[in-house]
Amino acid sequence: MPPALRAQGITKRFDAVVALSDGALTVERGEIHALLGANGCGKSTLCKIIAGTVLRDGGSVQVDGVPLEPKRPADAEAAGIALFYQELSLVPQLTVAENIFLGHEPRTRAGFVDRRKLEDDAGRLLGPFQAVAGSGLDLHTPVARLAPDQRQIVEILKVLARRPRLIIFDEATAALDRRQVEFFFRMLRELKAQGIAMIFISHRLDEVFEICDRITVMRNGATVATYPAAETDVNRVVHAMVGAMAEHLHPPQVERPANEQPRLVVDRARGRRLRDVSLTLRPGEILGLGGLQGQGQSALLRGLFGADPLDSGRVNLDGAPLRLRKPADAVRHGIAYVSGDRGRDAALHGRSIFENIAAASFIRERRVLVWPGRLAERFRQAAAALNTKYAGLEAPIGSLSGGNQQKIFIARWLATRPAVLLLDDPTKGIDLAAKADFFDLVQRLAAEGASILFYSSEDAELLGLCNRILVFNGGAIAAELSGGTMTALHLTRAAYGDAA
Amino acid sequence: MTGMSMRLRGRSWLVTLLALIVLVAVNAVLQPNLFTGTVLKSNLTVFLPLVLVAIGQTYVVLAGDIDLSVGAVIALVNVVTVTVIAAIGNGVGAVLLGLLAGMLTGMACGLFNGFLVAVMRFQPIVTTFATGIIFSGLALRVLPTAGLPVPAPYWRTYAGSLLGLPVTLWIFLTALLLVALLSWRPFLTHLAAVGGSRTGAFQTGLPVARIRIQGYVLAGLFSAFASLCLTGETASGDPLMGRMLALSSISAVVLGGTALAGGSGSAFGSVLGALVLGMIGNVIFFAGLPFEYQTLVQGLITLAALAGGVLVAGRQRW
Amino acid sequence: MARIKTLLAEPLVLASIAILVLLAAGEFLSPGFARGDQVTRLLTVSAILGIVAAGQSLVVIGGREGIDLSVGVLISLGAFTAGNVMNGVNGAILPAVLTAGGVTFAIGIVNGLGVTLLRIPPLVMTLGMMGVVQGGLVVLSRGAPSGNAAPMLMGFVNQPLLLGLPGILFVWALIALAMWFLLRRTSFGYAVYAMGSNERAAALTGMPTGLLRTLLYGLSGLFAGLTGVCVIGYTGNSFISVGDQYVLPSIIAVVIGGVSLAGGAGNYFGVMLGAIALTLLQSVLTTLQLEFWGRQIIFGAVLLGLMLLYGRQTQLRV
Repeated sequence: MPPALRAQGITKRFDAVVALSDGALTVERGEIHALLGANGCGKSTLCKIIAGTVLRDGGSVQVDGVPLEPKRPADAEAAGIALFYQELSLVPQLTVAENIFLGHEPRTRAGFVDRRKLEDDAGRLLGPFQAVAGSGLDLHTPVARLAPDQRQIVEILKVLARRPRLIIFDEATAALDRRQVEFFFRMLRELKAQGIAMIFISHRLDEVFEICDRITVMRNGATVATYPAAETDVNRVVHAMVGAMAEHLHPPQVERPANEQPRLVVDRARGRRLRDVSLTLRPGEILGLGGLQGQGQSALLRGLFGADPLDSGRVNLDGAPLRLRKPADAVRHGIAYVSGDRGRDAALHGRSIFENIAAASFIRERRVLVWPGRLAERFRQAAAALNTKYAGLEAPIGSLSGGNQQKIFIARWLATRPAVLLLDDPTKGIDLAAKADFFDLVQRLAAEGASILFYSSEDAELLGLCNRILVFNGGAIAAELSGGTMTALHLTRAAYGDAA
Repeated sequence: MTGMSMRLRGRSWLVTLLALIVLVAVNAVLQPNLFTGTVLKSNLTVFLPLVLVAIGQTYVVLAGDIDLSVGAVIALVNVVTVTVIAAIGNGVGAVLLGLLAGMLTGMACGLFNGFLVAVMRFQPIVTTFATGIIFSGLALRVLPTAGLPVPAPYWRTYAGSLLGLPVTLWIFLTALLLVALLSWRPFLTHLAAVGGSRTGAFQTGLPVARIRIQGYVLAGLFSAFASLCLTGETASGDPLMGRMLALSSISAVVLGGTALAGGSGSAFGSVLGALVLGMIGNVIFFAGLPFEYQTLVQGLITLAALAGGVLVAGRQRW
Repeated sequence: MARIKTLLAEPLVLASIAILVLLAAGEFLSPGFARGDQVTRLLTVSAILGIVAAGQSLVVIGGREGIDLSVGVLISLGAFTAGNVMNGVNGAILPAVLTAGGVTFAIGIVNGLGVTLLRIPPLVMTLGMMGVVQGGLVVLSRGAPSGNAAPMLMGFVNQPLLLGLPGILFVWALIALAMWFLLRRTSFGYAVYAMGSNERAAALTGMPTGLLRTLLYGLSGLFAGLTGVCVIGYTGNSFISVGDQYVLPSIIAVVIGGVSLAGGAGNYFGVMLGAIALTLLQSVLTTLQLEFWGRQIIFGAVLLGLMLLYGRQTQLRV
């Protein structure tokens, strides 16, 4: 009998960036198969290719021995594949029952929605969860009113309602508590008994070992190994994920007077995704924010920039309390924010390089009149600090490659001579040469006394650049690494929680 | 029906219903004969076109789009209908063919809008603004000046009664039945899904473009119904008919509790909204306020409804 | 070939070519069309359109589906206010200009607040404001024309002032200079482009986007008010719907001039060319003795064609 899924030699590029160089995965019927890997290893891209939301460049996918060439999600769905989206596919205004059966509503003979059957079926799916779902998860509640864990349950039920034969659960348990996870696992075992194949992605290794039959590990866009779960252990898996990563070079520590006043002190910052985060940042220090994606690192940086203001907590800059209600508050105090999501957060599409650099300087300097000729020299210097290649300041931003664009957005902040740099995964999707230029610059800025908070989804960057690393988990700081503990192993273990 | 009642729960349509009751009460005080058959009938005749357009507009707005061309569609349907009837010879058969031609015209306009917006991905607001200009240009082409009466069977039937009830009431009830039938179809849920979260609907595998087009076609069809009613009332062709109905229909939709951003609301709410707008006109008239104030007051109420509607919807972001 | 294609996609080039072709066509259809005094006349009409389009272009450049449909009634209101303040007296011209501009600026600010604070889509907000101002004008004027232009104002708009050109053309040149300075030499202008190009990114550099956008609508109101003053200077007196005819052309001129409806691109020189091209088009269509409906359809089609070039939305992708 052919396996439920066989994906081989999958490749995928996004512009200049290779997301997958050799993705492979084989899942048997009635198997729960874990897919693990460090951030950016390509596991999500591989799943999206299987589910038809991303088109592959090369390689082959077979479902039950039949080649699959999905052009859109509906094609994969027709082949019995369902992908669990992290609550992205729910419609907030519709009720729980409507969301679960959206697009597959049971109908009466007249073609009307069979409300009774819809609710009975939805109720039957929801039943097992009812005991652990908390109050308010009712078939008639609009999804907008649900808590995150309840939405996740609805998303799971929506997947199950399609009666798929291969299910991809991408971080399906992220928002669930322990009791909910147990119920979920009980359900997975039932599905397994029915011969349904499942791919399970989770950042909780204990869950992986609890529920999965086999484990496939990916690294740098390629599949490196597959183990039967019973014959391996956490250490081996983590080592496979980390690989023979080059031991990083500790950046030269700049000697600073011991009694120097800290630049930035954050005391019990709370927000939508932050739980009591406190930290101290010194002049000349590069402080890394590590952990899996979405654990509160970006929320902290955006909170400190005033973009998503903190709910509570104190922030002191050079000893003086700071109120950060909007970005202008931060910019005028010399705080800069570089986002990795260039297209959304930084690029002034269609505008010139000059305008793209100038944007923040106007606010920092409370400038009213603009004489481009007088500003140009300063902007050229800022761009030159990063070895940016561009035709001229008047060229449109779109004429540059992704890496050079990101350099321009960093130059935007260099031109404001910032005291604190908030880097929010700034190297996402840029080429290696640009990264190297960027790391040089960050070290130079630190040496000149700037304080830097650096979040990266690539562990190697954190290890190579930072003086200390704060590892985030669930909106709180789970561990602090410095000196001898700054290794890939420690970082991965801390990110994956206590299990490792 | 539970799902729909859910979507309605706690929404501003309750306020609208309350406003309607108050307006009816005030109107009854100002106009003691309000509840007599003739007055009710004439009121319904005045309100009916807006009710119908507002129903159609709801299906577009639910999907997160907007149709500013409905006024022009009304004019175009009107002139096409009267021209077709006159050309075929003013018999009963001609009238029926004229009605059919009118409805097809409305649906064709909706299809055109839907194609441009959903398939060509034009921005809905400016697109339907532009197609509205084209439709009114076409209306002027078909019938340059007002005139060309429709034959007596048309307007007599419209003004007459059936089984003891006015024909306008039958039309009103039929429209409500249509709304109910539509709301029982999966289509309405899909429409709301497209308006509520376009990416969510896409990822779920719904045919987003087709659903949006269907919304526009429904808007065109209901605009055609409105136009045919107006034609029954005026008994002649008028290429400038229905000019203010685009804005009024959007006001009625918003008053009825449908979010302009799409995703939630119902056509029943829009019916209430349309009735409220109509009653405001009545009250202004019977309160002895000069006619000139009507546009001003209606405009102010519309803006207030928009602001209120957006504020209500704004509070439940997630 | 490819170079010619990219050159043709350049709005300034396109508008300039359109102007030359239309001039030639006009001269061919009716000799004397391109004569000096005729061109001066065309430029005067273009200037009036150009001034209202200045405000419209600011709102559109500012992005988030920016558009101002209330400019028509604000022109009428400006003309009405100015006409009643000066009432044919030369000495009252300055107070008339200030009152008209002040009133329309304030109404524009209300538009802006609706768009920014209440997040009402600009088209709907300004459409609603259109209803309110229209109603207000009806109430104020009781439907009758009122107010007169001062003779000096009429002379300024219609009679040669310098080099055989009327004063209004110099005002237009001044406005062009002011627009250039505002957009290219102040941080306000740079912020407007930044906001129109990517509001999120602009806000993440600390720009006060809400305040800026509100001001843009205020400026659009101000320019409409000034246009109203010019209109009453051009015609001598005003009626309450005198501004209606400018709504659509102001939008088309902006789009022909290369201002993207998506925001963040374009400049006022392009818009000036757009205003001239559109005025020429209207004039040529009149020369062709094309009827109103034909002009309407051509306008709508031009707008849709420009949407195809500049106004498409992004495709749904996961």
